[in-house]
This record gives sequence, structure tokens and C-alpha cells, in this order.
Amino acid sequence: MADLKEYLRKKSDSKFGKIAIDRDLCIGAASCIAVSGITFELDNENKVIVIDPDSVDDDTLLAAAESCPTKAILLFDKSGKQIFPK
Amino acid sequence: MEKYKYLIIGGGVAGLTAAETIRSKDSIASVAIVNDEPYTLYSRVMLSKPNFFLGEIPFDSVWLKNEDWYKKNNINFFGGKKAVKLDSKNRTIILSDDSALRYEKLLIATGVQARKWNFPNSDKKGIYYLRTLEDGRVIMNAIKSAKRAITIGGGFISFETADLLKMAGIDTTMIIRENYFWEPLLDEESGRMIEGALKKGGIKIIYKSEVKEIVGKTNVEAVILQDNTKIECNMIICGIGVYCDFDWLKDSGLKTNRGILADEYLKANLPDVWVAGDVAEFKDITLDETIQIGNWVNAREHGRIAGLNMIGEKIPFKFVSFYTTQGLGISIAFVGDVRSDKSRIVIKRGSPQKNSYGRVIILDKGARKEIEGATLINRTSELAAIAKLIEKNIDVSDKLDKLGDDNFDLKSLIQ
Ligand SMILES: Cc1cc2nc3c(=O)[nH]c(=O)nc-3n(C[C@H](O)[C@H](O)[C@H](O)COP(=O)(O)OP(=O)(O)OC[C@H]3O[C@@H](n4cnc5c(N)ncnc54)[C@H](O)[C@@H]3O)c2cc1C
Ligand code: SF4
Repeated sequence: MADLKEYLRKKSDSKFGKIAIDRDLCIGAASCIAVSGITFELDNENKVIVIDPDSVDDDTLLAAAESCPTKAILLFDKSGKQIFPK
Repeated sequence: MEKYKYLIIGGGVAGLTAAETIRSKDSIASVAIVNDEPYTLYSRVMLSKPNFFLGEIPFDSVWLKNEDWYKKNNINFFGGKKAVKLDSKNRTIILSDDSALRYEKLLIATGVQARKWNFPNSDKKGIYYLRTLEDGRVIMNAIKSAKRAITIGGGFISFETADLLKMAGIDTTMIIRENYFWEPLLDEESGRMIEGALKKGGIKIIYKSEVKEIVGKTNVEAVILQDNTKIECNMIICGIGVYCDFDWLKDSGLKTNRGILADEYLKANLPDVWVAGDVAEFKDITLDETIQIGNWVNAREHGRIAGLNMIGEKIPFKFVSFYTTQGLGISIAFVGDVRSDKSRIVIKRGSPQKNSYGRVIILDKGARKEIEGATLINRTSELAAIAKLIEKNIDVSDKLDKLGDDNFDLKSLIQ
């Protein structure tokens, strides 16, 4: 089982309802932090944590997830369906 | 002759991000990528990560873009073709199949190549390098039958491959020329922490040592070190550094050093030629030095800025570089410029005993003292704050004791 850590996104104008980090996949490349440092931060195990799931708009959040070289950031819509990675 | 408004040589993350950036701003201009490897964009970093390498996640998760993506974005992809000559006067690139492409604007994002061991018998079967997907495939196959492996070199590739060789059940010995890990970038205490993690993981380490001789008929059977120690092995992984292949740029007039030289806009010395990613040796405005960096985020950010500048903007590249890795229960990060010569003050945070140890490296400019870099063992949570402090050139001359206080929150220094 993947070690998934989930964060609910409550932003009303967003199509995303949840961000999940696959901690087994995350290697701390920090691409996502370069794209959106107000959303993501590294912990001491060199894995990413979400510090503010509502901090940015959908485009920025998707760009951050797409920038990840291991596809460790998963995005779900409000009904719980996975949108990224497809 | 085919002509492109934007021609990109090298289809790694730097080249692809540039193409993507250009396309997002200009939906009609012609864009093409030439890539020596026949593959669409894949995740080079995954090649050395255990879950991928040991098949815990599907092989196909390595792909970051499929052919459809290039079609949809109207980007011509010349996969499996190599640029063999740049004629900047005629704005032409010659490819390995003798065809030629003309460009209006050119980006060179050709990455680096693994340095090959130039050594008697280094053509024996069983000696591997890890840079490309093909290299990865070959090694993944070889570990199935290997029993004993050695890694050569004390860098990231050796650290990460030793970890995964061990996880694959292979008896692993690391051979390192230095006295401890990452000398001189790390201090000895940090190096010993890494050593502790490797040893705990069952990996053997031999320091201050080099291979003198490779033994074996067609396959590697053992190596003999300079002190005549013989180590049996049927697999050698070499992580002895990288170089840039500039053969194809001979006579082009392009200025090179270790990498291709570029200014802070990632512009090379020739008209309408830009450089991005691992191959770029560029002017870093935060450090005020010319540097070359080999990491994913840097390559990606380079691609984005070079792409924007190619379409006519003038944005300097400003990004504090860092490199992180983890394995065997330890995380390691290098941020900014980590040289710690005499002109720099090193402040320690935490300690090896606490299994959490950082070194903040400060440039002493007399009245002003500015953070230039840091090395962090099991303290990656401080990476972002330190990168910000470096970027903002904040004067920390009256904060030195605070910086040394393990409980002091570095974020509070960011104004
Ligand atoms: C095993 C491994 C693990 C890594 N792990 C990490 C990590 O954990 N974190 C991290 O941040 N970074 C990591 N890196 C580094 C990271 O992968 C690189 O910094 C990044 O891929 C550089 O991107 P690039 O686009 O500059 O070059 P590349 O990805 O090297 O792409 C350049 C492409 O250009 C092609 N090319 C070269 N010459 C020519 C030519 N003449 N004509 C046409 N095409 C050409 C090459 O075939 C290549 O496909 C790792 C690297 C390796 C090898
Ligand atoms: S980009 Fe991916 S691997 Fe890197 S820190 Fe973010 S989630 Fe982790």
C-alpha cells in the first residue's frame, strides 16, 4: 500500500477537493516547492507536506503537481475522482 | 530544408519545459525538439530510486509526457536523432542522419554525460554507468543475477545505487577516493553520519582507495585496489562524475568551459542561442559567480526562463540551487554555495548525536554577514527558509548566536 497523506482543499472556486502526497514516491526534488512554496514544504525525512491546501489557484496547483518528477502529488476533484495524474 | 522559429536541441526536462513555455505564450510559432535518446520526456531522477528500480511501481510510471502530448501541442519531436554540427552563421543544425534544420532561435539543453572510466580492462562486461533510461534498463536486468557489486565514487549516484543494490539483496561495497563522504563539501562529522547510515544498512565502505586493476575474462570477476586488496564482484557501478560532450560544437564559435557559458538571461555568446539545464554554465546573480548545476528543479526553471527570454522577454534567472537525496533512513541536502573556506563562517545547528545536523555557511563581508549556503542532514525542513535567506541577502551579523540555536525558527528571519 502506498503511504498516502491526504489534505482537503476547501477553496470554493476550485475544482479540486483533495490533494494527496504519495510519501513513498516523493524524493524531495522540491519542484513543487519551486512552483508553489506557499503550498508545499519539506519535512525532515525529505518528503513534502502540504502546509496550506487552499493557498493557490487551480492552475498553479496543477502546475506544481505536473512539475513533480515522480508524480507524487495526486489531485482529486470534489467528488473524490482522481484528476492528476491521469 | 525544414525551418523552425524555435529549435531545441535536447529533450530532457530543460528542453521540454522551454518548448512548453514557448507554446503557452505563442500558439502558432513552429517549435521542434531534437533528442538523441529516442524517448519522449521521462523522469531521469526515477532511474536511481528504489521503488522504481526494484519494480515496486510499474515501469511505465517513468514517462512524464507521451507522444500525444507533443502532437497536441504541435511540437515536432525528432527522437533518436543527434545534433552533430552547429553552423551559427547559416543558423543551421546538422543531424546524425545528415538532414539539416534551420532555426530562428536555438536552445541547447543537451544535459551532461556520465564520465567513462578510462582504465585498462574497463571495457569488460559488468561495468555500468547510470544516466539514461537505457542504462537503467541494463542495470535493472543485471541485478537479477548479480551477487556482489561495487560502486566507484562518493557522489549521489553511488549513494543512491548502493542503497538500492543492497535492497536488491546484493552484497555491496563502495570504493571512495576521499577520506569520508562528500569531502570536502561536507565536514567530516556529516560524512560520518552518512557512513553510519550506510554501514547500518549493511554496505561496506573502503575509503582513500582506488581500483588498480580489473580482473576477469569477458566479465568482471574482481577488482584489485591500490593496496592490493582484492574484492570479488560481478558488477561495478561507476559514479565518477559527468562531462559535457562538445564535439559537435567544435568550430561553432560557442564559448564553453566545463559547460556552455551563458549570462544571467541564459543567453550564450552567439546570436539567438540560449542554453538551459545541466549543460549551462551560467551567471548566478545571487552568488555573483558562474556556476553549473545538475538537478531537476534547476533544469526545469532554466527551461522556463530560457523559453520566456527566447520569445522576447528579458528575465534574469534567479534561483537558489539545492540538491537533496535520501536513503537508508537518512536525508541529505545541499543548499546554495556550500564551500566552507576561510573567508566563511560555519554555524552548526543540532548535532550528529541528535541525528539532526545542519551547517549554515556565512560569507563574512566585514560589516555585513550573509548566508551563502547550508548542508542539512535530517533537517530538510529548513531548506526552504535557508534558500529564502540566501536569496534575500539578509544581513545576519547580529544573529549569529540565534542561528546556532537549534530551537530558533529560521523563518522568523525572513522579512
Ligand atoms: C540516475 C540519476 C538520478 C538523479 N536523481 C536526481 C534527484 O533525485 N533529484 C534531482 O534534482 N536531480 C536528479 N538527477 C539529475 C537530473 O536528472 C538532471 O539534473 C536533469 O535531468 C537535467 O535535465 P536536462 O534537461 O538539463 O538534461 P537531460 O535530462 O540530460 O536531457 C538532455 C537530453 O539531450 C540529449 N542530447 C544530448 N546531446 C544531444 C545532441 N547532440 N543532439 C540531440 N540530443 C542530445 C540527451 O540524450 C538527453 O536526452 C539525477 C540524475 C541521474 C542520472
Ligand atoms: S516535486 Fe514531487 S518529489 Fe519533489 S518534493 Fe514535490 S512531491 Fe516530492
